[in-house]
Amino acid sequence: MADDKLKLYEERKKRFLAAMNLEKPDKVPVRLSLSEFVAKHAGYTLQEIYYDLEKNIDSINKLLTDFDLDAITGAPSLWWAGLHDAVGAKYLKFAGRELDPNTQFQYHEEAYMLPEDYDAFIENPTEWILNTFLPRLHEELSEPGSYRANLSLIKGAAGMAMQQGMNKKAWATWAAEYGGVPAFTAMSKAPFDTLADTLRGLTGIMLDLYQRPEKVKAALEVLIPHNIFYGMATSGGEMEFPLFMPLHRGSFPFLNPKQWAEFYWPSLKQVIEAFWSKGKRTLFFAEGNWTPYLESIAELPEKSIVFHVDMTDMAQAKKILGGRFCLSGNVPNMMLAYGKPEEVRDYVKRLIDEYAGDGGFIIDAAAVIQGDAREENIRAIIETAREYGVY
Amino acid sequence: MVNLTDELSIAIAELDGDKVMALVKERLQAGVKPLEIVKKLQDGMTRVGELFETGEFFLSELINCGEIMKGAMAELEPILAGGGQGYRGNIVIGTVKGDIHDLGKNIVVMLLKGTGYNVIDLGVDVAPERFIEAVKENNAPLLALSVLLTSCLDSMKEAVTKVKESGLDVKVLIGGPIIDDNFREYCGADFSSNIASEGVKIAEKVFA
Repeated sequence: MADDKLKLYEERKKRFLAAMNLEKPDKVPVRLSLSEFVAKHAGYTLQEIYYDLEKNIDSINKLLTDFDLDAITGAPSLWWAGLHDAVGAKYLKFAGRELDPNTQFQYHEEAYMLPEDYDAFIENPTEWILNTFLPRLHEELSEPGSYRANLSLIKGAAGMAMQQGMNKKAWATWAAEYGGVPAFTAMSKAPFDTLADTLRGLTGIMLDLYQRPEKVKAALEVLIPHNIFYGMATSGGEMEFPLFMPLHRGSFPFLNPKQWAEFYWPSLKQVIEAFWSKGKRTLFFAEGNWTPYLESIAELPEKSIVFHVDMTDMAQAKKILGGRFCLSGNVPNMMLAYGKPEEVRDYVKRLIDEYAGDGGFIIDAAAVIQGDAREENIRAIIETAREYGVY
Repeated sequence: MVNLTDELSIAIAELDGDKVMALVKERLQAGVKPLEIVKKLQDGMTRVGELFETGEFFLSELINCGEIMKGAMAELEPILAGGGQGYRGNIVIGTVKGDIHDLGKNIVVMLLKGTGYNVIDLGVDVAPERFIEAVKENNAPLLALSVLLTSCLDSMKEAVTKVKESGLDVKVLIGGPIIDDNFREYCGADFSSNIASEGVKIAEKVFA
């Protein structure tokens, strides 16, 4: 690692960690959750970054050369579309395949798990996933035991290992050559979200809450240790940086308050507390509006999360969670795409004035930044934070 | 807020699926006209929309109610003579090109159907030309366009622009969690909302 880059890495890391520990760093850290914007900035189509791992990784080199960021979320595409094609995944639609070459990838939600699957899932989730769920979800696995299915399992596993190996190498390069610091180093989900997004789908889970609440609870129980294990496994033993937890169906107004307290919160709380007991903090990436639930979230151990604000009322979040957890967010993505740099500047200034004063604050957009964000607006966030965010 | 007096309307507003199905069958056997039964169901559904708007109901109640309605309609539709009679009007709806999200749209469809409109749902990733064709074919006074992704907002603008340029006499409603008045103006749409239940109110204005 070149000396100047090492110094830069250490400076940024110190700033980022200090904010998460509710301390006052030298400046308000800037962590931008950038995805498809990075491809556009580097001059790649979305099809290129979804299908070509090297371009996906290279786009970050360009980003880190051009922008001064304290923490980055990694290569713009989480997925390698070639891997999904190799197994015939039905649940993701990619640019250049089902969508135009410059269209955002999208998740195709269905009730991939049926009501009658609950018992088998609860009995042995891994067995059910391998024998029933994967064949249902992947064209190439539709006939388990066939040569195509066997081949696609090999291809899928090899592809996954290749992608992870390249990503690991990329992170080492970003740190050494650009001083790039990771915003997180592990991932997991709320048990209810695993069940509600990926398995039962929105309509399915909503009906289950009325028709088979006990099955839902039993499935959540099974998912708690699984999601804890998954988080720790993906951390690879790294404990300084947080774990990324994108939160979906606990936002307002999906569930009524009774359902939220009964089905969403207890299992999520257990998962987050388990991480914290092992020394791993959670980036509570609260997508949508979580204002009605702030009081419950305040029950979590001090500093155990970074509460990310998307559409949650920032003033309420500060009032209820401030001084307990670091807050991050919430420059509106509509403003980044359709607003002017002056508006962005004013917004960032106001965030710093009103919420960053006593430390424990990280500047970020409200949601993941896609290809529609304008470069001048991204620059405006960073420049304003650097200018006004000095403690 | 509607005041419900009918047992069936109350049952659907209280999300009592078993009771709804039992009452529908009972009334059909007693010779009540299917259309009258549908009307009672719609009253209950309207109440559910109102409760969602006032924050007493959440999406879980709304979706559950929609599924109960679907079950009841499956019983009633085959015997509704000459299909289409009794509808309050035709509405074309779909998610704009480039976006495949439909959860929000489906909730709006459910509410509109539930309150008595004939909804022509074109699905997701719909090109502007298909919207124009469907409006023409169905002579629909209202077109509803849905979007979730901010990166598909330009696609929304394109759809609205093309529909307006076609010269069709149709009002355009745009909806999605990120839609606001500024964007409605930018697009040139007639109505906008980010709340599913407002779709019904807007339809009532258009079909008044």
